[in-house]
Amino acid sequence: MKPNTNPGPATLWMSFRRVFSMFFFLGRKTGKSRVFLLLGLIPVATAVMARIFMTGRAEDVVAVFNEILIVFYVTFDIVILSLFYGTSIVAEETEGRTLSYLTTRPLAKTGIFLGKYAAYVTLMFLMVSASLFFSFFIMNGHRFRDPALYLTFLRYAGALGLGIIAYTALFAFLGTFLKRAILVGLLFGFGWENVVQYFPGSTQRLSLVHYMKSLMPRRAAGGPLSILLFRLEPSTPAVAVLMLIVIAAVFLALACWLFRTKEYLYEE
Amino acid sequence: MTAVIETKSLSKWYGNVLGLSDVSLEIESGITGLLGPNGAGKSTFMKLVTGQMKPNIGRVTVAGQDVWNNFRLFSRIGFCPEQDAFYEDVTGWEFLTGLLRLAGYSGAEAAKRAARALEIVELTQDKDRKIRSYSRGMRQRVKFAQAVAHDPDIIILDEPLSGLDPLGKRRLIRLVKDFQSEGKTIIVSSHVLPEIEAMTSRIVMIHQGKILAQGDIHSIRDLIESYPHMISLKCGDARAVAARFVHDASILKMSFGPDGRSLVVETYKRDAFFSRLQAVVLEDGIEVEELTSPDDNLQAVFDYLVVK
Repeated sequence: MKPNTNPGPATLWMSFRRVFSMFFFLGRKTGKSRVFLLLGLIPVATAVMARIFMTGRAEDVVAVFNEILIVFYVTFDIVILSLFYGTSIVAEETEGRTLSYLTTRPLAKTGIFLGKYAAYVTLMFLMVSASLFFSFFIMNGHRFRDPALYLTFLRYAGALGLGIIAYTALFAFLGTFLKRAILVGLLFGFGWENVVQYFPGSTQRLSLVHYMKSLMPRRAAGGPLSILLFRLEPSTPAVAVLMLIVIAAVFLALACWLFRTKEYLYEE
Repeated sequence: MTAVIETKSLSKWYGNVLGLSDVSLEIESGITGLLGPNGAGKSTFMKLVTGQMKPNIGRVTVAGQDVWNNFRLFSRIGFCPEQDAFYEDVTGWEFLTGLLRLAGYSGAEAAKRAARALEIVELTQDKDRKIRSYSRGMRQRVKFAQAVAHDPDIIILDEPLSGLDPLGKRRLIRLVKDFQSEGKTIIVSSHVLPEIEAMTSRIVMIHQGKILAQGDIHSIRDLIESYPHMISLKCGDARAVAARFVHDASILKMSFGPDGRSLVVETYKRDAFFSRLQAVVLEDGIEVEELTSPDDNLQAVFDYLVVK
């Protein structure tokens, strides 16, 4: 037998990097990404409309952003994105029967899972932050010279980024062992998460959205739309960041363990 | 010669369904054909050998190492899955270079190897088309290309000829034989005996998850020869063809279709029939529209072996 000249097995980090590159590329080419990119145009279009129809009412324009658009991002956009991308990390490979192309390469299974997770999280963050960037600066166009504006934007983007990391980890975990993970994810993302945030006391800490909202810049209560945020009893930013990171780490660890040990059979 | 792939008392079941039962095999370098009807356990065996499944009982080793969760082995293994599944939104070129990058090759090396692999499966001209636009045969060939592009020592091919036209089958068979001459270990599965026979004389017969027979193709062939073969023929004048065979002692039975153009022949000597038919067709100028072997008589042999 002639000597083998191929590069040999990868370390966990190498596996991660290789899979990340492949799925960051593949992820951009799917129809799903095009649909979600269009979804990101909704707040941008809303921002443009608000600017046109609310000319001269700067305070109201800012209120629209704070109380409608950011609620759209927090309670809908990132939940739906994370749900579809997170559950698809394993499900699209088993449903599409392509998993064997990955698991018969010299790649650590943990690296495969984390690489694909990171690729999709990066893709989602780019889509959401681009949409947020345009809608935020269209709405706040009158304050371009205010340095605080940029810090506020970074805070929004950071909170949404952490939300994507945590939600995607949770949904990816569901996708590793449930066949209909998307249904369970829908119930969690749009049922539990929506309902529990209006509960008083510590119950709302059982939702991810609570920690994301705790990181958002807040305005004084009031105004017709403040009902959407009315019962928030925020955690401190440090606790919110820590909780989102811990939740992501726990679900990722569980998902990696499952992916490493579970056999995936294709449905006939 | 030492075994490259070894299984000991290998068993696998899916819930209550038996996939593989007590399979002990030693596979050396060269081509080994895995022959069995659909659902016999061929794919299960291949998934166990490529570490995609964990045995319930027994052990499978490749190059002396356990294969389950041992990704270090996979740079030496090339696997062509049975299922017609791809990342559909990419081109053939992107598919191959992407998988080569996963195997650890640099961009330049991946490009070089992908170009070579596409060349050997004759897909160079179509490399920039999306896989979703490929024909079944092209998809089969690109699937084969990804299994060999990284130059593995061990190549596992699950029904690689399915969906290929006769010319494509011949080319792929030639390629597999070329790999054998490079000293590689190849396992190829099929449910069609002549396909396996064209590649190797070393076969393993598998049925209902069990190894029924293994060894030289000739012993299996002898076994098959003891059962009649069914050959179906469609031409302009089926009765004229039948008339030429009526005195042939190896013909057991002939029957005609209602359209008068189809003829079903049962014979003990399939190869002799084909040789004679070729001569008859040429002498009489008969245009044969279709020639098939609906029953290559494998099932009869399997039934015989099961009873035995």
